[in-house]
Formats: sequence, structure tokens, C-alpha cells
Amino acid sequence: MEFKTHISVKSLNVWYGQHQALNNISIDIPDKKITAIIGPSGCGKTTLLKSFNRLIDLQDGISVNGQVLVDGEDIYSPKVEVMDLRKKMGLLSQKPQVLPMSIYENVAYGPRIHGLKDKKKLNEIVHRYLKESSLWNEVKDRLNSPASKLSIGQQQRLCLARGLAVEPEIILGDEPTSALDPVSSERIEQKFLALKDKYTIILVTHSLRQAKRLADYVIFLYLGNIIEHGFAQEIFENPKYVKTQAYINGKFIEEHKINRELNLKGTICPDNFVKAKLALEELDSGQVLKIIVDYEPAISEVPKAMEYEGHKILEVKRLNKTDWEIIIQKYDEGYII
Amino acid sequence: MVKKIIKALRWLKCPSLCSGLLAVVHYFSAFFNAFSGSNFQRKFEENIFKALMIISAFTVTGILIFILAVIFLKGFPAINLDMLIKTPKGGYYLGKEGGILNAILGSIVLGFGATFLAVMVTVPVVFYLNLYLKKNSRLALSVRFFLDVLWGIPSIVYGAFGFTVMIFFGLKASLLAGIITVALLIIPIMARSMDEVLKMIPFELKEASFAIGATRLETAMKVVFKQALPGLMTAVLIAFGRGIGDAAAVLFTASFTDSLPYSLFKPVATLPLAIFFQLGTPFPEVQERGYASALVLTVIILFISILSRILSKKFTRNIIK
Repeated sequence: MEFKTHISVKSLNVWYGQHQALNNISIDIPDKKITAIIGPSGCGKTTLLKSFNRLIDLQDGISVNGQVLVDGEDIYSPKVEVMDLRKKMGLLSQKPQVLPMSIYENVAYGPRIHGLKDKKKLNEIVHRYLKESSLWNEVKDRLNSPASKLSIGQQQRLCLARGLAVEPEIILGDEPTSALDPVSSERIEQKFLALKDKYTIILVTHSLRQAKRLADYVIFLYLGNIIEHGFAQEIFENPKYVKTQAYINGKFIEEHKINRELNLKGTICPDNFVKAKLALEELDSGQVLKIIVDYEPAISEVPKAMEYEGHKILEVKRLNKTDWEIIIQKYDEGYII
Repeated sequence: MVKKIIKALRWLKCPSLCSGLLAVVHYFSAFFNAFSGSNFQRKFEENIFKALMIISAFTVTGILIFILAVIFLKGFPAINLDMLIKTPKGGYYLGKEGGILNAILGSIVLGFGATFLAVMVTVPVVFYLNLYLKKNSRLALSVRFFLDVLWGIPSIVYGAFGFTVMIFFGLKASLLAGIITVALLIIPIMARSMDEVLKMIPFELKEASFAIGATRLETAMKVVFKQALPGLMTAVLIAFGRGIGDAAAVLFTASFTDSLPYSLFKPVATLPLAIFFQLGTPFPEVQERGYASALVLTVIILFISILSRILSKKFTRNIIK
């Protein structure tokens, strides 16, 4: 099957400080289709999504190389106006984030900042996009009341209307239904299906069932790498790679490359923490330490203290009746993604 | 034993300590009840710290109420209409006649002027720190560090600094010099409190605005400002209260006078200095008038903070909680 490309990513690398979040990503995203980005948490799904509208620029200590072509134009070239680029894309975030204004002003905010002053046209736009996100009937009598008074499902639809009001070509969804109740999620999903004739939709989701219901095209990311991508049917029915298979069948076991192992059985807090810390100091940033403890308070205290130190806890797993395994990744800069 | 202490405290008419101690007794007994339980140590910690918190809360409020009571009891009998609508007779408040209208008006003008000037300087600084600079940028860190240092400088040093600058330019003590010096004094206070308020604005809110294609300025003015308004208002009030109540900064710079404030370039009288002079005299009647002045100053600050809170409610109905 062939498709028309809307966004084309070419060998994109993204680093947060020392940590590489995206590793040599190359992918074409089809025009006017729903593309789902799936993968375990912390694999770089959101980073990839936000690299499309350059929202990752706002993060501290970020560095990007590679190309992202939207309509054939490299958005990371210095000539590109970020404001115009972002206008092309509406974003729905994990938790609906309405602006501290009235319902009307929330939708009118986008067109207003892009220079529309005509009251009549603004009214028209607000009406049209509130209808498009099927919120109009619920709010038509209280357009001037605060947006924060709406229910969380309504807020997400208001965010959709706000995003659509600047007339974008692409809708980016960063797990847009994860904070919503099933009924509201269903409505948003229906909306996406209805909108895909007009917009290119890119959806980050951790719900495989949602990806199955909605997606035409699926990208499977794992630890910053694209493992597999293709049309939804192919990926879900006939995945080529073992990792994809495992993830789709829900048997995904995260494997970590362990750089050092430490047996701390028989030590109590904070001795075990200090020993683990000393061992971590010998490792490089990004390397992984596995410790085994049998002292019960350590199971909660050591990870807490390690996270406080800026390291990342990858896994806490019970081995047998007494022993627990804690896997810690070292971070020098203290970046936690 | 404990009961005896409480009785003694009650006799000393010290309500805050008394109730604080009661709370300790209460929670100690709760601890002993919990002793038989398996989680006794955790409950013990919980109760001890809860008791300590209650004691501190009562002590702080108690002291505050005590101060207000002293000012009110000593100052209220000395207040009369003449005091509020007349200027002093007998030179720098030392007489028993006339009023402190010059100081009331002077303080209000000086307080508002300095606060206005400080807001003009502070708002751009804090928005620059929070919206334009990255979180750990060296510039932001050093600006915050310097503001913290400036916060700690005593107001008399600001006064002396203002005085030195005035002498250098050959100027005399005036309302304008007072306004500028007090503004310098309250800028660090205002800036650091506003900074903390803006730090609390969720990143996602700014991100939502940027995602539509807003510039940083639009995001600052139309989104962040609206969301932060109640906090910013509090910061302004804290700074205003600090500025209007400061005597040392205006001692050399705004000086003192018996006439009403009518020019930016003439000396102006202020309430803190009026209190300072009146309490410094050996005459009980004049000292009482000092307490009355203190009462007037307190009422002005109270009135303005209540008024601004009522007003700010009007503008903050849209904020996201």
C-alpha cells in the first residue's frame, strides 16, 4: 500500500543532556490518516510527537539533530517561523489544559493572536469549532463562564476546539484520553475518526486497544528506537519483530542491560543505600546497576533516595519470598524523562 | 503537675500558651493510648509533630493579636477627628494639638508611588526570568541570588544610599527621593514573591498557549498573567505594607515637614517617622498620639489589603484551580 507523506522524519536524534531520547528516527507519516505511536512508557513517544511542532525546544538541555520535513520543508532550519509552524498543528495534551479565560475566549484565543479582530468572524469561528468538537449544545448558554468550570471531558473537547480554531492541518494527541472517563474517551475517539478526512492525526497512546480501534498506521517505539512501523492491520496481525509481537500480546518484558550487579542481602538501611551509591559512582551516566536486597524497608526507601539523587529506577521486582531486585540507571545530570 | 501549670497560665491570662499546652497534653495522652498498637512509633511521631504545629500556629496568631491589641488599646483613646483632618501645631508633632493629616497623606502618596514604581520595574524582570530564560540559566540564577541578597539589606542602608546619591547630585530631601528609595527597598521583596508565584504556574499551561502559536509575550500577558494575578496581587501587597511602614528609608530621603504633600520635589511627612518622633518625646500625651498614629497606619494597610482582595476576586473568576 502506498500513501501520500505529510510529515517526513529523517535521521532525527534528540538528547536530554547526556541521555539520548530518540535514536536515529526515520519515518514517513501519511497524510489524512490516523497514525498511532505506541510503545512502553519512557520510550520517547511524547518526545517524537513534540518534535513535530518544536515544543521540545522549550525543554532544558535539549539538543536535536536531523530533519523533520512538514510539507517538504525542514522545520528545524533557521528560516522557519516557529509560530507559523505551531499554527499548523493542534495539540491535545494528556491532561486537558484550558486557558484561564471564558469558554468563548479559549476558542477565540488562537485566531485572536494570529491577528483576527473582526467580532462577527470570531463569533462564527467559535460557533463552528465548538460544534465541530460537539461541545456547542452543552455550552451555548454559558459561553462567558469560566472554562475551568467544565467537566474534564468537556475541557478536552474545548481544547480540541481551541486547537482547531487556528485551522491546522495536523492534530497531535499526546495520550488525549488517558485522563478521561470511558464515555468522554469514546466521544473523543469518535471525533478523531470523523476528523481524519480533513486532518492528519498523530496519536500517542499507551492503550493498544485504542490504537487498534483508531489507527491506520502504527509506529512502535522502544527505548528511543523505531522497532517497526506499518499499516495497522499488518502490525497487529502480523508483526515482523519479536519485540513488537511481545508488546502487542501484552507479554512485554523490559530487559535492561545490566552493567553491574551488587548483592546487598543482609544489609539494612541506610548501609545498602550507601553501598549502592558508591557502586553507582563507579559507573558512567546511563549505565545500569542491579542490586538485590532482603531488608523490607529498603524496597521503598532505596528507590526513593535514588530518585532524589537524580537517578532513575527502572524496575523493582520480587525474586522470591525474601529477596527483591532493584534496577537503577545512573544519571549524572539528574535528568529524568 | 500539668494541670497546675495550666492553671498558672490561665491566671497569667496567656490564652495562646495555655491552649498550646493543652494540645500537648491531649496528644501525649493520645500517644500513650496508641502505645499498645503495632504502629505506635508512627502514631507517636504524627502526634508529636501535629502538637508542635498547633503550638506554633497558636503562638504566631497570639503574638499578632497581642500586638494589634496593644496598638488599639493605647492608640484608640488618643484618636480624635482633629488628629485625622489637621496638620500638626507645634513643629514635628511635638505639640498636643493639631493632627497628623500631613503624615497620613504623605505616607499614602509615598506608598502608592513607590509601589507603582516597583511594579513597573519588577513585572518585566520576573516575566523575563520565568518565561524567557531556561530554568537553570546562569543569568536567572544570579539575578535570583542578587535579589535574595538585596532582600536582606537593612532599610537604613537603602536610606543612606539614597542620601549619598542625593548629595552627589546636589538634591535636597523630597517626595521623589523618598519614592525612589522605598521602591529600591521593596523591589527585591516584590520580585522574589512574584517569582515564586510564576514558578508555580504549570508548564503545561504555557505549553498549551505555545502550541497554538502564541509568542512568549502573548503567553505572558494573556495566559500566565491572568492565572497568576491573585499571587501577584499578594506580592504587591506584601511589598506595599513593607514600604509604607518603613521609617529608616525615608528618614534622610523624604525628610519631614509640617505641611501637606504638594510637590514631588519638596520634603514630605510620613507616618512611620511621625510615630518615631512622637514616641521619642518624654511627654505621655504625645506618646499616646504616637500610638494613635500607629493605629492609623495599621488601619490603612488593613483597609488597602482587604479592598484589593475584594477587587481581585472580580478578575480571577477564570483562573484554573
